[in-house]
Amino acid sequence: MATTKRKPPKTWSLLGDVKRRPSTYEVTAAKFNYHFRREPAPFEMDPAAPINLWYLANREGSPFNVEDWEGFRDPARMTYSDYVTVQHDRETYLDAVIDHHEAADSVTGLDPAWVEALTRIAVPLRFPLHILQMTALYVAQMAPSAYIINCSNFQAADEMRRVQRLAYLTKMLANAHGDAIAETATARSPWEEDAAWQPMRRMLEKMLAVYDWGQAFAVLDLVVKPTIDELVNVQLAALAERNGDDLLAQLLAEFHLDAQRSKDWTIALAQYALASDPALADTLREWVDEWIPAVDETAEAWAALLATAPNALPSGQVVEAAGRARAELLAACGL
Amino acid sequence: MPRLSRSEWYDLTRDMNWDLSYVSEDEAFPPVLSNSFGVPAHDWWVWDEPYKITYTEYVHNQAGKDAGVYSVNNVLNRSHIFDNLEPGWKAAVIAHYGAIAVAEYQAGIGEARMGRFGRAAAWRNMATFGTLDETRHGQLQTYIPYQALAKEPRLDWAHKAYHTNEWGIIAARHLFDDMFTANDAVSTAIQLTFTFETGFTNLQFLGMAADAMKAGDFDFGALIASIQTDEARHAQQGEPTIKVLVKAGKADVAQNLLDRMFWRAWKIFALLTGLSMDYYTPVENRTHSFKEFMEEFINKQFIDTFRDFGLEKPWYWDQLLNEMNWVHHAYHIGVYFWRPTVWWNPVAGVSPAEREWLEEKYPGWNESFGKYWDVMGDNVRNGHPELTLPETFPMVCNSCQVPVCTPAGYAAGYLDSPLPHILDFEGRRYTFCSEPCQWVFEQDPEQFKGHLSIIDRFLGGVIQPATIPGALEYMGLSPEECGVDGTDYAWAGPVIPAEKSA
Repeated sequence: MATTKRKPPKTWSLLGDVKRRPSTYEVTAAKFNYHFRREPAPFEMDPAAPINLWYLANREGSPFNVEDWEGFRDPARMTYSDYVTVQHDRETYLDAVIDHHEAADSVTGLDPAWVEALTRIAVPLRFPLHILQMTALYVAQMAPSAYIINCSNFQAADEMRRVQRLAYLTKMLANAHGDAIAETATARSPWEEDAAWQPMRRMLEKMLAVYDWGQAFAVLDLVVKPTIDELVNVQLAALAERNGDDLLAQLLAEFHLDAQRSKDWTIALAQYALASDPALADTLREWVDEWIPAVDETAEAWAALLATAPNALPSGQVVEAAGRARAELLAACGL
Repeated sequence: MPRLSRSEWYDLTRDMNWDLSYVSEDEAFPPVLSNSFGVPAHDWWVWDEPYKITYTEYVHNQAGKDAGVYSVNNVLNRSHIFDNLEPGWKAAVIAHYGAIAVAEYQAGIGEARMGRFGRAAAWRNMATFGTLDETRHGQLQTYIPYQALAKEPRLDWAHKAYHTNEWGIIAARHLFDDMFTANDAVSTAIQLTFTFETGFTNLQFLGMAADAMKAGDFDFGALIASIQTDEARHAQQGEPTIKVLVKAGKADVAQNLLDRMFWRAWKIFALLTGLSMDYYTPVENRTHSFKEFMEEFINKQFIDTFRDFGLEKPWYWDQLLNEMNWVHHAYHIGVYFWRPTVWWNPVAGVSPAEREWLEEKYPGWNESFGKYWDVMGDNVRNGHPELTLPETFPMVCNSCQVPVCTPAGYAAGYLDSPLPHILDFEGRRYTFCSEPCQWVFEQDPEQFKGHLSIIDRFLGGVIQPATIPGALEYMGLSPEECGVDGTDYAWAGPVIPAEKSA
């Protein structure tokens, strides 16, 4: 065969004359997002086709842009294969946690007052957590490089993981304490109607309508998600422990590992952007500040909801912790 | 293992549908990204995926599947298997990676669009898995060619292709952008997952995996077979979407979306898979002709699938059956003749044994398409292979972006006229290869009308200098990357009568 006779390439030609041999992580992500800043338009359609205009306005036209997004790296350097391998192990662990509690029938032994509190607090959570999944997929489809896309896709999958394990727990509670716990209305009605849930629902529905990609990233990953992760994975876990609910506490602690991975790439992305253009600190800060009243209101409503449970946490702790978690994240980002 | 079976709790993972209160439906689901086609929000909530899977099952399965494919690849990298593949099969594999690898990754954007803008939580979950799947397919199909890059520099196109303006890639981008990256969530479910994945790729991957094994390419075979198992799952997002539309009295919407994309997919399928099955796959390894494959798998089985949902054959069915006799033969001659414009090394695939096979599968082939090859063979045998190379470019269709081959269809007796279809629209003249291609354009001019085909660019001064070398440079093909005859003209040798030998 007339195979081309030339010097064997060191790597993909688009990566240039590299000194270090790129990793598997890099050769399966670098420059995959060929349509970012493509001329005359992102997609091979009429340059004025509606979706071309959408991307030009909300991605290329976002104030949150740097000269080169291809330099960003996920601190976990995760490929798809890494992701499913890591999560396969973590899910094996969670299966074992559930096996243990099923063998001990620990859900049956929970205090009925705590079960009643869980029905109001934990059962409706699959609705807001599903919105975090949706929004992560928006950030992913709009992000300028595959390195960012992959992080946000894996984050969306993590959100689905959390929703599904809480769904399983809901069914365990229903089997032990009454079928009504697993009815859709038991979750949806408070989510749609109860005053305690409305600040969170208002915030999340409004987040769904944020379409500038940088703003969607900032609202989801710098403000909303870190707050909800703290309120759910940490504060609800603390409350569960006080009520002898080790199963829920262990599940939530596991989800917090996922949340930490999301924080890591979020911080890395913000730092990368600010290093490229320090003026972006103002852009991000403006978006963050705009959403702080909504997250504060959400945290207060959530704290009030947690306070209705037995063995409630010291008053003020929940709101303060949510504020602290957000402040720490923003500080780590350099904001 | 946790005691509750999936069916006992699965519905709790998929009932997160609620009424918006703080933003309008159009604010949360803008029509440009999520066209409801007028179906009310609650009517979407019954969306029911036929294939159920949990996150836990997903990561358990996929970790095992990935380990399997990577370990086959690790073993084979130490062997000489790639070096020993037939030139035709290499052409097929190199063409495949360039056209498909990064496109599959981009399908993840289409999946993420459904994962965000799908109109039921169950659907959004399925699309979340689909997003992960397509990330996998993009990464696997770049990782594996990357391992062989030192042996075959043309595999660089697995990564580079979509950054170029090579004409086949323009055609592929035009198709795939219309299908998923630049499409709304509801249309994507029907056009990507139902029409393309259920109708074409799912079956194609089964066929290609079998052909790969026969051709001794175990690496490619394992890869494609593993990918197909993901496709079989996430392709099932189309069916429930069609059911919702049909139930809402919108069967015409589903039919229109299907008809548009089925034709578009056919054109690119004929270009990529048609050549691969009938010319590139070694003749002794072929299990069926491209036409037989289309008849059995696509036309018969797929029609049964959509008839089950109350949809019908596309209106252009007779034209499809007509093209199945000739269009990929014309494409093959075109790709071979214009081989400097492709990134792989096309093989002619017309040695005597191959011609015999072609005549058997396509009676009359020798009298029609064989004649062009007779002339090219004579030129090669007379010591003038340069006469088998182009000096100009063909007209390109403004819909499928593939060169217009109507003269070849006419000469072979399948068309009444050699002329292309012409449309004057808003002061611009558009050229189409076929009536359905024109119809596709007319269904959504806003999507297509301002797009320039590669020939529009050539004639309009976008490509400079407007010469063949200028165009090749524009296409991203360096002189050493331009395709050459994959067998060094060996195909022309055996048929030559000794006295005519130069």
